[in-house]
Amino acid sequence: MGGDQTNRLTSGGLIDRSAALNFRFDGKTFSGFKGDTLASALVANGVKLVGRSFKYHRPRGILTAGSEEPNALVELRSGARREANTKATTAELYEGLEAASQNRWPSLSFDVMSVNQLFAPIFVAGFYYKTFMWPAKFWEAIYEPAIRRAAGLGRAAKVSDPDHYDKAWAHCDVVIAGSGPAGLAAALAAGRSGARVILCEEDFVLGGRLLADGGTIDGLSAAEWVARTVAELSAMPDVRIMTRTTLFGVYDGGTYGAIERVNDHLPVPPEHQVRQRLWRIVAKRCVVAAGAIERPIVFAGNDTPGVMMASAMRSYINRYAATPSRRIALFTNNEDGWRTAETAIAAGLQVAAVIDARPDVSPAHRSLASKGGFPVLHGAISGVDGGKGGVRKISVALTGGARAEVEADGLAVSGGWNPAVGLTSYHRGRPKWRVDIAAFVPDGAPPGMVAAGSANGAFGLGACLREGFEAGAAAARDAGRSGNIGSMPVADDDAFSITPLWHVAGKGKAFVDQQHDVTASDVELAQREGFQSVEHLKRYTTLGMATDQGKTSNVAGLAIMAAVSGKSIPETGTTIYRPPYVPVAIGAFAGHHRDENFHATRLTPSHHWAAEQGAIFVDTGLWKRAQWYPRAGEKDWLESVTREVKAVRSGVGFCDVSTLGKIDVHGPDAGAFLDRVYINAFSSLAVGKARYGLMLREDGIVYDDGTTSRLAEDHYFLTTTTAKAGLVMQHLEFCRQVLFPELDVQLTSVSDQWAQFSIAGPKTRDLLKVIVDPAEDLSNEGFPFMGAREVGLRGGIKARLFRISFSGEMAFEISVPARYGEAMARNLMIAGKPFGVTPYGTEALGVMRIEKGHVAGPELNGTTTAGDLGLGKMMSTKKDFIGRVMAGREALVSPNRQVVVGIKPTDKARRLRSGAHIIPKGETPGPGNDQGYVTSVCFSPVLDQWIGLGLVERGRERIGEIVRAHDPLRGEDYDVELCNSVFYDPDGGRQRG
Amino acid sequence: MADFSWDVRSPLDRALVAGSYGAQGDAGVALTEIRNFDLVQVMARRGKAAEMAKAAQARFGVAAPETPKAVGTADATLIWSGPDQFLVLSRGGKHTMDSLAPVFAGSTSLSDQSHARALISVSGDKARAVLAKLSSIDLHPDVFGVGAAAATSMDHTSVTLWRGADRADGQAVFNLLVFSTFAESLWHTILDSAAEYGATIGHSEELM
Repeated sequence: MGGDQTNRLTSGGLIDRSAALNFRFDGKTFSGFKGDTLASALVANGVKLVGRSFKYHRPRGILTAGSEEPNALVELRSGARREANTKATTAELYEGLEAASQNRWPSLSFDVMSVNQLFAPIFVAGFYYKTFMWPAKFWEAIYEPAIRRAAGLGRAAKVSDPDHYDKAWAHCDVVIAGSGPAGLAAALAAGRSGARVILCEEDFVLGGRLLADGGTIDGLSAAEWVARTVAELSAMPDVRIMTRTTLFGVYDGGTYGAIERVNDHLPVPPEHQVRQRLWRIVAKRCVVAAGAIERPIVFAGNDTPGVMMASAMRSYINRYAATPSRRIALFTNNEDGWRTAETAIAAGLQVAAVIDARPDVSPAHRSLASKGGFPVLHGAISGVDGGKGGVRKISVALTGGARAEVEADGLAVSGGWNPAVGLTSYHRGRPKWRVDIAAFVPDGAPPGMVAAGSANGAFGLGACLREGFEAGAAAARDAGRSGNIGSMPVADDDAFSITPLWHVAGKGKAFVDQQHDVTASDVELAQREGFQSVEHLKRYTTLGMATDQGKTSNVAGLAIMAAVSGKSIPETGTTIYRPPYVPVAIGAFAGHHRDENFHATRLTPSHHWAAEQGAIFVDTGLWKRAQWYPRAGEKDWLESVTREVKAVRSGVGFCDVSTLGKIDVHGPDAGAFLDRVYINAFSSLAVGKARYGLMLREDGIVYDDGTTSRLAEDHYFLTTTTAKAGLVMQHLEFCRQVLFPELDVQLTSVSDQWAQFSIAGPKTRDLLKVIVDPAEDLSNEGFPFMGAREVGLRGGIKARLFRISFSGEMAFEISVPARYGEAMARNLMIAGKPFGVTPYGTEALGVMRIEKGHVAGPELNGTTTAGDLGLGKMMSTKKDFIGRVMAGREALVSPNRQVVVGIKPTDKARRLRSGAHIIPKGETPGPGNDQGYVTSVCFSPVLDQWIGLGLVERGRERIGEIVRAHDPLRGEDYDVELCNSVFYDPDGGRQRG
Repeated sequence: MADFSWDVRSPLDRALVAGSYGAQGDAGVALTEIRNFDLVQVMARRGKAAEMAKAAQARFGVAAPETPKAVGTADATLIWSGPDQFLVLSRGGKHTMDSLAPVFAGSTSLSDQSHARALISVSGDKARAVLAKLSSIDLHPDVFGVGAAAATSMDHTSVTLWRGADRADGQAVFNLLVFSTFAESLWHTILDSAAEYGATIGHSEELM
């Protein structure tokens, strides 16, 4: 025995007394054993007070021994790993565990905010709605922060979680939730059939209630039977047993969500291991053997530390050899509760009394009472005398009106059992009421799922085994497995009788939902104020809305509502059940997708070369693109970008444009196909030529643009914008497969096949002559503007060369197979060295396209027509194309539309900002006279001032007009001139030269 | 001026560090990038599927796959990639665009994908456990046997996944083709997924 585990039995239990573990709770050191939970270790150390309640800061103890726990919530671990609202009842003990109680200040035993209890009469349901209504602006600034300080639960770590999480898929014939008698029997039958089985158990030990309640199965003790069964299952190659794993949800197509707490039982996950793993399990069938949850009875003082569920008390005594109290009273309304009296006596504890709400008690229990020397009181508990030190005395209202008092330091309560109907109800299922057990049971389930055992309302051990075995066999059969299932495990059935009792009238607060501090009188108040629907009751009182999702409180709450509104429980009904069954860390849903791995990243073929050059990268969609290449001594990005632009305009530069979407369009009808998807003609394009194309959406709005080259009679090479690459491919596939199946055309994305570089500037041809095979004619005659063909490069590889220009300069684009991309960049540097070649990034690219008046993403923004972009004349009248008819709609051809125009501040020193609104001079800015906005801006090295493009009402008719750029976001308002959108080389001589 | 040199760099050239990665001890998984291959997309023209199949049979001696399968031949693997289309994977220089063009002339359109993908092979005791973190495909031996193939996604990235011939030690081999520009990103996710089992990392010029 280690340390001062005053409440630990000397023998028994599933703990390893040879493995003592030290832990700290609220700064105090305790010891426990391997096999303990934090809760059982606290029980073993005689700790009764573990937390303060949410609203009233009432002292609270441990109520349950499972994941339904509403009270014993702690902050587990410290620093970045601090995890709020962790259930002490499921947290496995490990050496050095640190936990702190929550919602108390300055300490758990002396909590200033517990004065809230004195004001309890005003903290009723709807208190916040009623009180903090006025003035409205006070809510965010004053009320909410104050309430959040006073109420609430644990504190978040507020720093990045240092641990890793991942996600995985699993596939099986049968997934089973729970490893109690029903779950193990189901696994046996399914496994023996030859089915692929996944058995999920949220506990770290298999066995479910068998661990606490024992029993005899096939003539073996429960422990022996569990061991034998687990051995048999473990030997089956296609049976996978997953402990520490909760099946928390069911989704379409037989997909189930499960959370595996891989390393929560260790202080820190071992190197390279994850803390938790989120499973998506695809199963043909599911057996829900998730058991049942014992429910409390609502009476005054039922939240006093020392009041515990009867089944939980058995768990602590039998499984953990820890005694929550020395002298216990039992309050039950059913047969099952009596097991706790038997357990207590067997453990050598005193039983002070059994208070049984039923009219009659079995002879066996009567004789147990007389042998144990304790009274059986018929009636109900009406009050508990005690405080943070725990239960002292219990008041009993006896049947017939007399009163009695019982002295005890612990009180076990059993109000019956609620089958865990969560999983079966997650697809909007509503459970049905069964009178004989006074509980909701599943009424159907999502496709492929069935409940078995106590999750299905079968409370006897024999019935659990039978239902589980049969469900497992049927599930395997449905999945097409027909192996010999052998014999069914057999056990006796225990009798179960219950007299429903939900709420006992009495003085003092009687809690329904202990985690959210919702009392029976809150439910009654809600009824009086008209919130009678269970969904309204839930939201008005917050009943069942805490992290425990009302596992111990929902049914009692609606039963009380039924009683006060004069309806039956089934008439009152349940709220909708929603996953997850237990809280799941957001980190588990994110898995690897956090920080720099938030999404997949695409790298251009010259990425690593650009990184070597010191490029600054920008995220554009999934891509990392070189934005500019700073050089030593440059003071900011603008200086670098201006240098790059000037270098291109006066010499030569190059830029990796591999991010453009690239599509091979093949087939005899490729030209006809392109004629239908572009507004302009492509069937007439000569082999060896490129053409700029614009495509519309079906509604007539511009979709995308790019150049397409004809490389052979039946082969076009189409490019898209970077942003729309994937979408255009989808769009074209849709056109090919659905709209125009009669055309013989084939599409392949070749975006990743080619590394493509734009080489621009007056010395482009000089550079190319160095690298391209000298036999190739690159003269204006031999390779005219908009030419496109394959050329040889010196050193033996082939490239595609396109004479197209985005910058307005003499320019080519060159493509090589992607694995040569990095070599291409290096060779361009070598070939261009005599000409001062300069790599440039997306910023310089953008500057040059704005100077040249080319539209891009900000103008192709899903609202503009070809006409708006100044490209209306491209719309062929000789053929049909997608978007043609709808583009003719009145509003899309209105002369008042906002169209692309150039914009420059009248004060040359002023910076133009995109997003600024265009307002006529002399008018007050407002929606009524908002005539458009600035879409793209840059500092133009050529004009030595800021310029931009904008969408402005009738803009092209207003060239030369001075208007206002009104920018309320930045508090700016200045005069700008509307001008031709082509600021640079308007007649295009440079690019053709 | 002297000729230029054209170094070939695979998309994983920088990210792949040969050796062991993650947990120490016996590696649970082997990750091998295969660098030297030709990959050609073959698509039947309208109404020419039968002709394409005939041409494929004549060239490769096997029927081209008509369902998600990877068919191995002496010097190529034919991988289904959609209705009436498949990929031809071969050692670099074996079945190139130029050599396949006359074989399939008239019946198909060909598109070179040799540089558009990275090829990664995953094998070892924990190969399925690693892939379960990346793929929604059921890789149980009864379901995904030798030659099974899937056009699927990993880490939101399109991949072609197929099971090749088993290793000499009987271990299953899973091959995946990923688009080149996504390869480094997916590689890091694969490493993350493999770390807990320990990985042996390498690259090879040769198809296995």
